[in-house]
Amino acid sequence: MNDILTRSLVSSRTFKPETLTALLVLLGAVLMMLAMKVLNPGFGSVQQIAAILTTSIFLVVAAYGQGLVILLGGIDLSIGVVMSIAGMMIAGLTNGSNEALTWALPVTLISCTAIGLLNGLGVAFLKIPPFIMTLANGTAFFGVALGITAGSSQRTVAPALQVLMSAQIGGIPVPIVLIGWFLVAGSVLQSRTTEGRKIYAIGSSLAAARVAGLPIEALTIAAYGVSGLCAAIAGLLLAGYSSSATLDMGDPFLMPTIAAVVIGGACVTGGRGLYFGTFAGAIFLSALSTIITVLSLSQGWRNIIQGGIIIIALILQTKQWYLLSIVNRQLPGKQSLDGVLPQNSEV
Amino acid sequence: MSQSTRGQRRPIPSSAFAALLYGIMFAIYLLYSPSAITLAGITDLLNNTIVLAIAAAGLTLVILTAELDLSSVGVIAVTNVIVATVSTKVPGGAFITLILVCLIGLLVGLINGWLVAFLGLQSLAATLGTMIACQGVALLILEAPGGEVAAFIMNRLTDTVFGFMPVAGLILLLAVAGWLLFRRTRLGIAIYAVGTDALAARLSGLNVKATKWLAFGLAGMAYGLAGYMLGAQTGTGDPRISNSFLLYVFAAVAIGGTPLGGGRGGVIGSVVGAGILTVMQKLLFAVGVAEFYTNIFNGVIMIVAILFGNLSAILSLRQKAIMSQHRDGQLVPN
Repeated sequence: MNDILTRSLVSSRTFKPETLTALLVLLGAVLMMLAMKVLNPGFGSVQQIAAILTTSIFLVVAAYGQGLVILLGGIDLSIGVVMSIAGMMIAGLTNGSNEALTWALPVTLISCTAIGLLNGLGVAFLKIPPFIMTLANGTAFFGVALGITAGSSQRTVAPALQVLMSAQIGGIPVPIVLIGWFLVAGSVLQSRTTEGRKIYAIGSSLAAARVAGLPIEALTIAAYGVSGLCAAIAGLLLAGYSSSATLDMGDPFLMPTIAAVVIGGACVTGGRGLYFGTFAGAIFLSALSTIITVLSLSQGWRNIIQGGIIIIALILQTKQWYLLSIVNRQLPGKQSLDGVLPQNSEV
Repeated sequence: MSQSTRGQRRPIPSSAFAALLYGIMFAIYLLYSPSAITLAGITDLLNNTIVLAIAAAGLTLVILTAELDLSSVGVIAVTNVIVATVSTKVPGGAFITLILVCLIGLLVGLINGWLVAFLGLQSLAATLGTMIACQGVALLILEAPGGEVAAFIMNRLTDTVFGFMPVAGLILLLAVAGWLLFRRTRLGIAIYAVGTDALAARLSGLNVKATKWLAFGLAGMAYGLAGYMLGAQTGTGDPRISNSFLLYVFAAVAIGGTPLGGGRGGVIGSVVGAGILTVMQKLLFAVGVAEFYTNIFNGVIMIVAILFGNLSAILSLRQKAIMSQHRDGQLVPN
């Protein structure tokens, strides 16, 4: 089963439906910005585009972990809390000095990865539903952070992190370069390594993965660990960007990480999705929130537009499956092996 | 598959374990706060439980069909501000607003159901969209917390009737009785069947799409009622209900023994789950623990409650667990 799965996936050189989804989502982001440019000629300067990309890095990074966990059929609701904790830790530990960064950075990243690993342990061994495990774990560690910091904000992020978020290499802001690296590294890890492939297999069919003897527990724990690590990196960057850290600064990113993964064409029940799609979803949401801010509407209208566009994006995404099926001259749902195998085995 | 398990031995419902846990927690709470057993104490506790309980009951219907629904906080925000703006302005406001919130909830629920069942969108994402949009609508109706709820709603719905029955308790009893009847109806059975195995349900002639659509609609109506009751509790409208409430609604359902995979569990468990979460807050407050410990306890107790519920899965037939795991891997939306 595993052998067939891996071989077919590797040998399939046809255009993947998920790639098309991702490209359409990116196209949607561009169209949105063009429409904005027509409405408001002052919009769309190079700086503004760069700012959209720079601020998208938090979502791009945090959503990678979410995507990996969702690919397994789980969900991570601790991402917001972990982001905040990472930001608070790096600010509190470095206390404004770059020298402290050399040990504070690994300590922060390891601590936050440990929170993620704990999620994975609960899900893999105690069989606690991911929804509850990650929520409860996040709530508990929020309590720990609240106890240590007494809820006060930390204003002393190491200058090096702040410089990182505002520096440029050859005219390109460093965060945009980092996004590029992260996109490549993340995609390779998820889609081109055996471990990544195994995660796809587990998400497609847990029963089949068990029969094939895949290390389900180990990979589950690892995926949640990676999610914690990604949330930590996103939190560090967010602290560097805003040059201070608060205990609730990660919260607004939790729901968007899920939205980015799903808009990018992944299946919430697991087994289907590309990091490129999640990336496109994150860029789309960042562009959307920037545009909505520029529109200077009341918060109520902003929410209505944001909610409406998310739904429209999802509807368009289901329509493109028909488009692709015409292109491939196949029945809907047959192009993707991931979608077909478990259904066939069920019948 | 449910027939074969039913034929052999009836497993202990997981709501029984939730009820046991509730009993234990309530007993500990009593030690710290003896007045909790008085009528006033029980009324107070039920008043604090009811919003979460009704919302969790609604969500249960959707989760039983193996879908997810995040729109509860959106609907509660809208209906809460409706109660705070409309109920004092029109004659018979309490009744008219009640009809209004039910219709609004039903409408949002049916939109959700239409997006999920007929357009084939992923429920988590689609309802995230309607949740955000609803929060926007709530902000348009009432920009900041405020407004006024009719005195009738505020006083009568939080009080007692017949001298011994808290109104909140009566509503919960009615909800549970309604559920027990609903479970036996065609739609009630269909909801379980669709959640257990959508393909098998379709092959045996059930209308899977219509079932999901109606489940979302009924859930929306429940959220509307929850918003109405929130107005009764607080006396004002607040367009910004926190997202942590949403997580508690899901936690109440999960603790009550309804797994997110669908097909198992029920409304009674969710109501008890909401009770557990509420008693937990009360207990931690009564013991006087600092806020940060409260969060840690919240997290730990949630996990313990789930482990407690898992115990029932171990005690009940093993087969059932294997079947459900098998099914979890098979959930591929059409």
